Amino acid sequence: MATVKTLIYLVIYPGLLFLFLYSTFVEWYDRKLYARLQNRMGPTHTGRFGLLQPIADFIKLMAKEDIVPDRADRKMFSVLPAVGLAIVFTAMLLLPVWNYSLDQPSAISFNGDLIVVLYLLSLPTFIFFLAGWSSTNLFSTIGGARVLTMLFGYEVPLFLSVLSPAVLADSWRLAEIAAFYRQKPALALVNLLGFIVALICVQAKLERTPFDIPHAETEIVGGTFTEYSGKKLALFRLMMDAEMVVAAGLLATVFLGGFPGGVFLGLLNFIIKTLFVIFFLSLIRATTSRIRVDQVVSFAWKYLAPLAILQLLIVILVKGLIS
Amino acid sequence: MRFQIPIGPQHPALKEPISLRMTVEGEIIRDADIRLGYNHRGLEKLAEQKTWIQNIYLTERICGICSHSHTTCYVQGVEKLMELEPPKRGLYIRTLVAELERIHSHLLWLGVAGHEAGFDSFFMYTWRDREIVMDILEIICGNRVHYGINTIGGVRRDLDEQQVKHILDSLAILRQRSEYYQHLGTNEPSFVARLAGVGYLSREDAIALCAVGPTLRASGVPMDVRKDDPYAVYDEVPFEVCTADTCDVLGRTVVRIKELFQCYNIIEYLLKNLPSGPVAVRAPRRAKPNEVVSRYEAPRGENIHYIKSNGTDKPERLKVRAPTLGNYAATIKMLKNGFIADVPLIFAAIDPCICCAERAVSLVDARSGQEKIISMNSLKTLSLKVSAGKARKREAEWPL
Amino acid sequence: MKIGVFIPELLRHLFKKPATVDYPLQKLEVPRDFRGSPYLRPELCIVCRACERDCPAEAIEITATNEAEKRFRMVIHNDRCIHCAQCVDSCPTEAMLMDTRFEISDYDRHNLKMEWEYVRAVVKPKAEPKTS
Ligand code: SF4
Ligand code: SF4
Repeated sequence: MATVKTLIYLVIYPGLLFLFLYSTFVEWYDRKLYARLQNRMGPTHTGRFGLLQPIADFIKLMAKEDIVPDRADRKMFSVLPAVGLAIVFTAMLLLPVWNYSLDQPSAISFNGDLIVVLYLLSLPTFIFFLAGWSSTNLFSTIGGARVLTMLFGYEVPLFLSVLSPAVLADSWRLAEIAAFYRQKPALALVNLLGFIVALICVQAKLERTPFDIPHAETEIVGGTFTEYSGKKLALFRLMMDAEMVVAAGLLATVFLGGFPGGVFLGLLNFIIKTLFVIFFLSLIRATTSRIRVDQVVSFAWKYLAPLAILQLLIVILVKGLIS
Repeated sequence: MRFQIPIGPQHPALKEPISLRMTVEGEIIRDADIRLGYNHRGLEKLAEQKTWIQNIYLTERICGICSHSHTTCYVQGVEKLMELEPPKRGLYIRTLVAELERIHSHLLWLGVAGHEAGFDSFFMYTWRDREIVMDILEIICGNRVHYGINTIGGVRRDLDEQQVKHILDSLAILRQRSEYYQHLGTNEPSFVARLAGVGYLSREDAIALCAVGPTLRASGVPMDVRKDDPYAVYDEVPFEVCTADTCDVLGRTVVRIKELFQCYNIIEYLLKNLPSGPVAVRAPRRAKPNEVVSRYEAPRGENIHYIKSNGTDKPERLKVRAPTLGNYAATIKMLKNGFIADVPLIFAAIDPCICCAERAVSLVDARSGQEKIISMNSLKTLSLKVSAGKARKREAEWPL
Repeated sequence: MKIGVFIPELLRHLFKKPATVDYPLQKLEVPRDFRGSPYLRPELCIVCRACERDCPAEAIEITATNEAEKRFRMVIHNDRCIHCAQCVDSCPTEAMLMDTRFEISDYDRHNLKMEWEYVRAVVKPKAEPKTS
């Protein structure tokens, strides 16, 4: 029984199959929303309301010629997309989605899994950097350098803002944090500032406008992905979408009380809450223009980091008050 | 570490082929070099084989966005050569289309600036509203891009009451939308942060490097052919020359937005004071031997056509100096010591029209930096001399 | 400077009808005087060849098929035509007109050719040609 459960967990929900389908759905949602905000139609013709468009894009890319540049580090170049995808899918397994009971909220749940998820979410950034660097194209190299520069900006505020709810809940375990805020929903409001900071940081992590600097097409062509094509590019794009799901899921767990309600209600909860987070991500994308890489770093340290620290202070104060 | 990055001839930021070689140190540009010639179409030579009338449509195709500018500039020159006096109503309609074209060009530019800065929503909205002015042009002229309204001695189509009313109605919407974009463009923090202080070009440099159009006016020099050397009916129409003194991309944006409002005023004036009468006079087929220089303020700056006639029905020489060419020298100045991230913005800020500017083969000697114009024949001998006796290179390296 | 000045405008459009049109399925009307492709009304053509001479793209070709019977053949190479309507302006008898078709693309450029074979008409020029 346990084996079957684990298998279902790994392969169907929330593992491979679900994450793949849901990632494509999220891409569709993001594209459609972005288009509607801009008074356009967005994907329309593939499937109902264009729902199958991301899958069609994926299949199309899979079928395209796959080119590895002569000068690139062949092994590294080819293996990176798969590794990146694996990392993101692993991070997904840590989210407490299948909520049977608090003792066994997901296949893997342990004290400190919050840190592991954050760590696993940092790794894709390095994958992007390595992808840019190993393709040896000038544009990719610049893109890779920009990825790292940006990382210095948003990583610390992200950690700080995600840790403060954990401090308030007095646990490093995602399931426990979520359960804590479910019991005392009013306390979730304390983290509002942190939620905003985390949203902006996640936007930066996902490299979406205003932080789409590493692959700013008008400046450095495809940036890190300039040399990628075919299957590898398809995997990278899937990875970005999956990363968006995982990041949104993480924020929903930490700030919005997780996904209670067993198999079906929990699934519904997951979808509603992640879509809620992604709505804001799309809105930010539509509202802003791309900033420069030096502006990212100064913005992150001038505003985001102090705000995150302020959030931490608030949390500590509130914690003193309630205990 | 210094290295060179090529922007173009194929690059997503460039809609037309041109090559910018940027020597960069990290993210900062230390040197820039512009290479032209990827889009030379031999239009001037072709013009010598076509009649005066056929050339109207040829000059129209020099540029897609300022197509009316080129024909007007050409037609004005030819009218001077033929000593024609186009009727007032014709001139009013010609000016009307010119101003409509300026609106569509500036709205297009605003959108492109938004896109280059990664502000795609702004791009979508400005281009959506640009459709209004495109529709007006389509109704007046019968086509969205190549209006074909000019003919030698006037214009080809007349306006009726209904059209005038339609234009005035649409203008009200456009004016309201432009006010909104002005508000938006100057208030969205991430957008302003990208534009302000970028691509600095001081007043002195702008004059010394012969910048033209909004690039020049944004450096605080109030120069506009429409005021300085009025053609068509600009001496009757009240309008102001818009300037800004921030000397950066933000200033160029402001100048263009201000000009939009001037355009609306001009169009309103033109439509309210439209004289009656014919729209064109008959033109002869031949022009007496003479030469003429015609100037025109295109949306991007001063456009100059030099036309020489020899008594036949074809011009002996047509020389086009498109505004973009005048701005290249200033662009290099603006690019230096900027960020790579700002290249598309700075370059887009001159509103480059590369096709327009491609005229002659100009070679830059990499060592001495000297430019020389070479004729096709000597180019051929040169190439033969260089390649003679050399084995064909295999696996040639990308010359960075 | 304000944060998020664009948001109200964006949200306002979220549930509005998109400004774009589902093109091949849904088409916009072109205006009345749209410059589509030129066509000939052979019963009016006096074969003055003004259109042939003024066409900037050299898209009009008039040949005599039978001198004695005054039969002529006109070919409009629509693949070369730049839709400028100069031929319409040049024609003294309004034999040349423009339609409003714009979706004329084809896989074979020869399909775009239009041909008329006709006897020269005897009509008086109605309007003075705008350019002689
Ligand atoms: S529309 Fe213009 S290009 Fe076409 S046939 Fe007539 S004159 Fe020639
Ligand atoms: S200009 Fe008119 S009348 Fe003359 S040949 Fe052409 S179609 Fe016929």
